[in-house]
Amino acid sequence: MRAPSPLRLLLPAAAIAFLAAAAHATPVPLLANAAISSPAKPSLVPQTAPAGGWSFQRHVLPVLTKAGCNTGGCHGALAGKGGFRLSLSAYDPDADHLSITRDALGRRIEPGDPLHSLLLTKPTSAAPHKGGKRLDPHSDDYRILAEWVAAGAPGPNADDPHLDRIEVRPDRLTSKKGEKLRLQVLAHYTDGIVEDVTRWAKFTSTDETMLKVSDPNGGIEVTGHGEGAVTAWFSSRIVMSRVVSPFPRASSSAATGKDGTLWKEVNLVDKAVNAQLRQLNLVPSPPADDATFLRRARLDTTGVLPSPEETRAFLTDTSPEKRNQLIERLLNSPEFADYWTYRWSDLFLVSGSHLRPQAVKTYSKWLHAEVEKNTPWDRLVRQVVTAKGGSLEQGATNFYAVHQEPEAMAENISQAFMGLSINCAKCHNHPLEKWTNDQYYAFANLFAQVRAKGWGGDTRSGDGKRTLYTVPSGELIQPRTGRPQPAAPLDAPPLPQGEGDRREALADWLTSPQNPYFTRAIVNRVWAAFWGIGIVNSVDDLRASNPATNEALMEGLAACLVENRYDLKSLMRVILQSASYQRSSAAIEENKSDSKYFARYYPRRLMSEALSDAISHVTGVPETFTEIQMQDGSSEKTDLYPKGSRALQLYDSAVKSYFLKAFGRNQREITCECERSNQPSIVQALHLSNGNTLNDKLAAKEGAVSALLSAWKDRSSDATLVEEAFLKCLGRFPRTDETAAYLKILKDAPESERRQSVEDLFWSLLTSREFLFQH
Amino acid sequence: MLDFLSEHGAGLCGTSHLKRREFLQVGALSALGLSLPQYMAAKETGAVRQGHDENACILLFNLGGPSHVDLWDMKPDAASEVRGPFRPIRTKSPEIQISEVLPLHAKIADQFSLVRSCHHDGAAVHDAGWQMMQTGRRFTGGVQTPHMGSVASHLLGRRSDLPAFVVLPELMGRGGGNLPNGQAGGFLGKAHDPFALMADPSKPNFKVPDLLPPDQIGALRMERRQKMRAVVESAVREFESSEDARLMDENFHAAFQLMTSEQARNAFDLSKEPDSVRDRYGRNRFGQSCLLARRLVEAGVRFVTVNTFLTVFGETTWDIHGSKPFTSIDGMKNVVCPLYDQAYSALIEDLQQRGMLQKTMVAALSEFGRTPKVNPAGGRDHWPQCFTVSFAGGGVKGGRVVGKSDPVGGFPAERPVMPGDLVATIFHSLGLDHETFLPGPAGRPFPLVDLGRAPIRELFT
Repeated sequence: MRAPSPLRLLLPAAAIAFLAAAAHATPVPLLANAAISSPAKPSLVPQTAPAGGWSFQRHVLPVLTKAGCNTGGCHGALAGKGGFRLSLSAYDPDADHLSITRDALGRRIEPGDPLHSLLLTKPTSAAPHKGGKRLDPHSDDYRILAEWVAAGAPGPNADDPHLDRIEVRPDRLTSKKGEKLRLQVLAHYTDGIVEDVTRWAKFTSTDETMLKVSDPNGGIEVTGHGEGAVTAWFSSRIVMSRVVSPFPRASSSAATGKDGTLWKEVNLVDKAVNAQLRQLNLVPSPPADDATFLRRARLDTTGVLPSPEETRAFLTDTSPEKRNQLIERLLNSPEFADYWTYRWSDLFLVSGSHLRPQAVKTYSKWLHAEVEKNTPWDRLVRQVVTAKGGSLEQGATNFYAVHQEPEAMAENISQAFMGLSINCAKCHNHPLEKWTNDQYYAFANLFAQVRAKGWGGDTRSGDGKRTLYTVPSGELIQPRTGRPQPAAPLDAPPLPQGEGDRREALADWLTSPQNPYFTRAIVNRVWAAFWGIGIVNSVDDLRASNPATNEALMEGLAACLVENRYDLKSLMRVILQSASYQRSSAAIEENKSDSKYFARYYPRRLMSEALSDAISHVTGVPETFTEIQMQDGSSEKTDLYPKGSRALQLYDSAVKSYFLKAFGRNQREITCECERSNQPSIVQALHLSNGNTLNDKLAAKEGAVSALLSAWKDRSSDATLVEEAFLKCLGRFPRTDETAAYLKILKDAPESERRQSVEDLFWSLLTSREFLFQH
Repeated sequence: MLDFLSEHGAGLCGTSHLKRREFLQVGALSALGLSLPQYMAAKETGAVRQGHDENACILLFNLGGPSHVDLWDMKPDAASEVRGPFRPIRTKSPEIQISEVLPLHAKIADQFSLVRSCHHDGAAVHDAGWQMMQTGRRFTGGVQTPHMGSVASHLLGRRSDLPAFVVLPELMGRGGGNLPNGQAGGFLGKAHDPFALMADPSKPNFKVPDLLPPDQIGALRMERRQKMRAVVESAVREFESSEDARLMDENFHAAFQLMTSEQARNAFDLSKEPDSVRDRYGRNRFGQSCLLARRLVEAGVRFVTVNTFLTVFGETTWDIHGSKPFTSIDGMKNVVCPLYDQAYSALIEDLQQRGMLQKTMVAALSEFGRTPKVNPAGGRDHWPQCFTVSFAGGGVKGGRVVGKSDPVGGFPAERPVMPGDLVATIFHSLGLDHETFLPGPAGRPFPLVDLGRAPIRELFT
């Protein structure tokens, strides 16, 4: 049965337009004809349809999208809803037009009687609609649909002008807490037409702690302090408006920094960081002392604690260049290669959960050799992307043993080397991103000619020998069209037809300095390894709608890395030498609210493997690694790790270790830094207090406690012993009050408890936060 | 003694000998995150209803997403590609028919009620559903909302030496979506993260890892260690700006509280249960975790989450896509259903026999259901558009069905229910007013559930 239309009148389109316009006290500007030359508002235009009539793609679909008709929970679901199916966020206009005009026996539109079209009666709730009322019959959006139906519901045309770009105004502004602002979104079409599409755009705050979208038509409210952004989405395009809201100024004499050390600028890092701090009314912390800097730089660059000898030598060195000299020593140390091999192994998923032991070893050894040679990042990645040959000879081919389907290869290459998750686009256009379903299949089709023979993927058995090669033919079918999508990198034209390994073309595109994602992704990963947080967070999420906290810093470092031809050590040097990195981690009044603008170094718990190594290092008792944890819960013996191996030298994240698991190592199941956790927990505190790791090592006959006790048998040398313990554990000398307090407790212990009391001394230092954290 | 946490430097490292008993007193009041004052405040403002002090919740999280059409919402009259291989059976409740693969459920169907019209609008990936079903919301704009157990920890605090919120046997692992899984304190702070057991309670000689000090560390050494540690911990100004560092400190206090508590030791000691009871729950990880959950609630834990599985990769789970590395429909029938059926029915019966069911809600939730149509691999894929969850105890009347799905289980047909409503239902059972505000990020007040979401009241009346 047909429901009465809201107007219950049969009117020509022009009359509808008149009625609707009359219902509006203040008409909303719909169109701005000519291209806009100044940032002035687009001029008001008549409320009637443009010369060619309302366009399906330009006007009708945005109305439906804004009303929520084509979301995943409604008609945009894969199976549609209530028999009516639309493509998610209108990614397939042809199918949508068909569905609206032809399906359901064409009842959705009634060109002779537009207001009785289901397309209008349903969303206005004039006819029963499970989705409720989505459209006001007095709105311009309603009128557009009605006039379009009246005009015969014309469909998309191949020669329609298409959307060139969208623009948000303003794209950057400084405001303050409590202020309300209004954004405007303009769509630029290839025929030169510019339309104000603000009311059809979808606005999202990237940081709801400081910015709120207060009304769906571009109204935003500043609710806090910092730098945030609002993204505007229209027709699968995204633009961003950045909003700066300075913190309240704290008045303190320290803020002036008379000696110039506070605002010191060594390099581009400091320029970008300081500029943002000033803009936000934040003041950086003073420089860190030498002992703190030594320990911090050592841990961040090599994952290893400084030895007492190194600390003593560094503290007595009077050279003004000693920090820079230290940085060079660290960048060229053997531990550097171990540490960064381990970090990058997280990215390459080097794990016995995916590969047989010999393949794991080959994969890891290859990576280690490249890191040791300091192979530039672009060339390292090219080796992986274009890898060929046997898995036990060519370590890099194991990337394709871990990921065996073209889709998985594409997704993981994108995730690891561009920080982009394209997975959503496998089934539909990415709802809030620019990646389309076609782009996904074009990208995955780059891997359609990769083949392998030999070991198939059973991690429990087999020799792990797998030979990778490519064949000259083979296409991946795009399921939506049933045809192959011509192979193309994201955002690039399809490859020319021809023979040859498509992955070579991909590598050219991927590692080109013109590819913004590639450089930004590795800059961000390296930065996050030194600071605990990225410039873009999280480090695996570089999508267009996720802004950098400091864009100038990101751009500066990316340019610097390109200039240095992807030599990662050059990037690390810039970070390590910066005054910003060398600041104290103690907050001052003027930056205590800061947690992401780099006004100071942020303390964080040592990563799982580094902490395990640090405990072994201090106690002089190495950890043993003898078993691999299989995916089904069983274990397998391994003899790959001789006694004395450090956790950071393991090839494999599946090596069994309660300690490493409890402290949150990266299990390398998926390409995501989020698998690693540096977060403290009660389980960790229990393990340090009662577990065997620390207690057994302290009690061990061959350990550091025994050595110290035999060197300083007499209790009169307890002060030296305390000093040595502090240097070993904390990398600094004890203060006099600390020494005095420790000596008193040691003296209270009976002679028979001497050994135990020294064990307890070490226990107290090794469970202190100063030890557990890098700071 | 209440000032203990804020002045622990002086408290723990004073000159007098601190005995176990004193540890205990200190511990009993210094709940994680100073929640006692919050509890008092919450009571005063009426956020907590009278008479609910002993209420608790056991959340069985059916990781993977059980197939509602094959289990709890069968469609025997639908086409064969919808109805699947199993037949419905009658149960102890005239209102409920369920699948033949859950025979023990059928015998206790008068104790639980089903909600057959759940749906959510998040993406059909595990992680998104985990967030929504455990916190009531999808994480947007960088705001991570807290798990229900963390909210209980924040508003109610602990009732004993045990933490307020415990996860068994481990936190859930990866879901493939690279998203946070909602099993944490979120904006309430990490102090309200759950205590995760990190061990398999079905293993022989199971004990909580590292709960007790080794033999050679007696009370004297323990005390010396604390004194020494207080010396080096006394001047750590730079750490006070770091949430993680503050948390590490609180974790050490909570750890001492656990290790010195007789009550905690007993609660975790499954060997105190007769073999017959342990057998009844099933001698597997999930079964023994359910038994342990009951013991923990008895000992005063307010919220226990039992994850039925730890990951959907390489484990036989509810995630029946039909092909590797996921699970087949036979894997569900032969492995998953028997162990779940056994443990669930044991838990309900046990709580009932002990008189605990009235005060203990057992909620069985999942991230989504599964596609109405069987896929080419013989399995079913993710389907958040419609699925079934169950509630028992905690004031819920059993034997009933709320809501209805359409003829193929594709969409809710009556009384659609969203994750926020389910979360509100659990809060209601715990005596928490769902309109209470939490302190959100940057001081923004956050209601327990979004506007418009409310408890499913017909379950309780």
